[in-house]
Amino acid sequence: MLRVTGLRKSFGPVRAVRDVSFSLARGRTTALIGENGAGKTTTLRIILGFLKPDAGAVETAAGRIGYIPDQPVFLPWLSGRSLLDLTGRSAGFGGAKWSAAVRRTGERLLFDPALLERRPGTYSAGNAKKFACLQSLAVGPDLLVVDEPFSALDPPSVRRLRDLLAEARNGGTAVLLSSHMLAEIVRTSDDFIVLRRGEIAARSDLAEFLSRFRPSGAAELESAFLDLMRA
Amino acid sequence: MPDKDIFPLTIRLTAARLEASRFTVALAAFLPAFLVFLGARDSCGTAMKFFLFFFPYVFLVAAQDMAGTEISSGALENVLFLRGVFRRYLWRKNFALAAAAGAYAAAVFVGLALWSLARGRLDPSWGLQFGLGLLAGLYYIVAAGALSYVLKGGANVVVILMAQAAALLGLLFSATSRSAFIDHLDAGKFPDLVSRLKFLGFTAVFPNLIVSPRFRSGALVAAAGLLAALVLQRVLLRRLELRKEGRA
Repeated sequence: MLRVTGLRKSFGPVRAVRDVSFSLARGRTTALIGENGAGKTTTLRIILGFLKPDAGAVETAAGRIGYIPDQPVFLPWLSGRSLLDLTGRSAGFGGAKWSAAVRRTGERLLFDPALLERRPGTYSAGNAKKFACLQSLAVGPDLLVVDEPFSALDPPSVRRLRDLLAEARNGGTAVLLSSHMLAEIVRTSDDFIVLRRGEIAARSDLAEFLSRFRPSGAAELESAFLDLMRA
Repeated sequence: MPDKDIFPLTIRLTAARLEASRFTVALAAFLPAFLVFLGARDSCGTAMKFFLFFFPYVFLVAAQDMAGTEISSGALENVLFLRGVFRRYLWRKNFALAAAAGAYAAAVFVGLALWSLARGRLDPSWGLQFGLGLLAGLYYIVAAGALSYVLKGGANVVVILMAQAAALLGLLFSATSRSAFIDHLDAGKFPDLVSRLKFLGFTAVFPNLIVSPRFRSGALVAAAGLLAALVLQRVLLRRLELRKEGRA
């Protein structure tokens, strides 16, 4: 669904991403993990087309791509409903089908539909995040890129979003997520890629990793990941 | 998103933005009211002359903050603008704004022309003047658009208005010199190379001039400026990246 080959990106003297290559398959969730400045966000932003790589290529067969940013910002002059209408049209959805998808996804996310009449810029951080999830998940993306999906969400919404991400993955979506919440990564991901100083330091099937390290609790799991991130 | 879907998206987003701008809506309502007042007080011919000279500013107002805030705020980092769609959206915004401002100006022009026709005072040369005013308006949109890649908020329009104010002040000061440029402007004749170059520069800053029959040769400057600003925007867009660290 997505193939990233030899990505490189520098910002002045800072080499943010160096020779990053990986591919994502349908129906798998891959987590990008690493410390701050490891190159996760730059990699995601190149994949989404916001940044141009200095070298390398991003190829995707995905028709519909979803994106849930860490801190979503929206065009300030549109109501939530107008923004969703435009999203539906852009994704080729008809009126009734789109309305049903929005209603269904919104209910699952515990998103108050009354908020749609307001501009998303006036939402709380949590509701803005839910709205960004709604905008991306309702289109049924082939590829879903998620940056810190659970930040700003309350525990019930975290659980709902976790379920929705799992359903999308089970429905064939390739999910690429970046997060610092290691426990959530273990719950939601099938594979992980560790980035360190812009390079891929490790990659593994999560189940294989867990069977190898056999962490007995959250603290041990965290230590195992930190060892990988800092080794 | 397929290319064919981007222009409708741009039209909808641009229309919603114009509707949401109180200043633009107020100006759009004020201009016809003022023209009616002017026509009633003086003549519809005077109202038409005023309109023909000033309507390119409608395009300039429409182009305020065309791209700067959208880029710097992070609002383009949305699922609507993935995989380079934001670049194509910003490019097409020139044409969407030109279409909106052009449609508005054409409606007012037709209204004034019908009014003049009813009074038996329709001047056929107004059509050409309107066309030249459209050229000046397009130049404003594309030049202000190019400026908005480096300036935030309405600063792109403010810079153009300040350049015009500076040009007018320069013109006033030139009135004290022996071979005053203001005299050449008044005569519409530029006998030497220096005065011709001054005229080209003045037209580049003040494209509304080309509406006047005396300064029609300035249309070439406006056309060249329009082309140059379009090329500049293309270059800026090709290089444009949405960087998180650059956010406002």
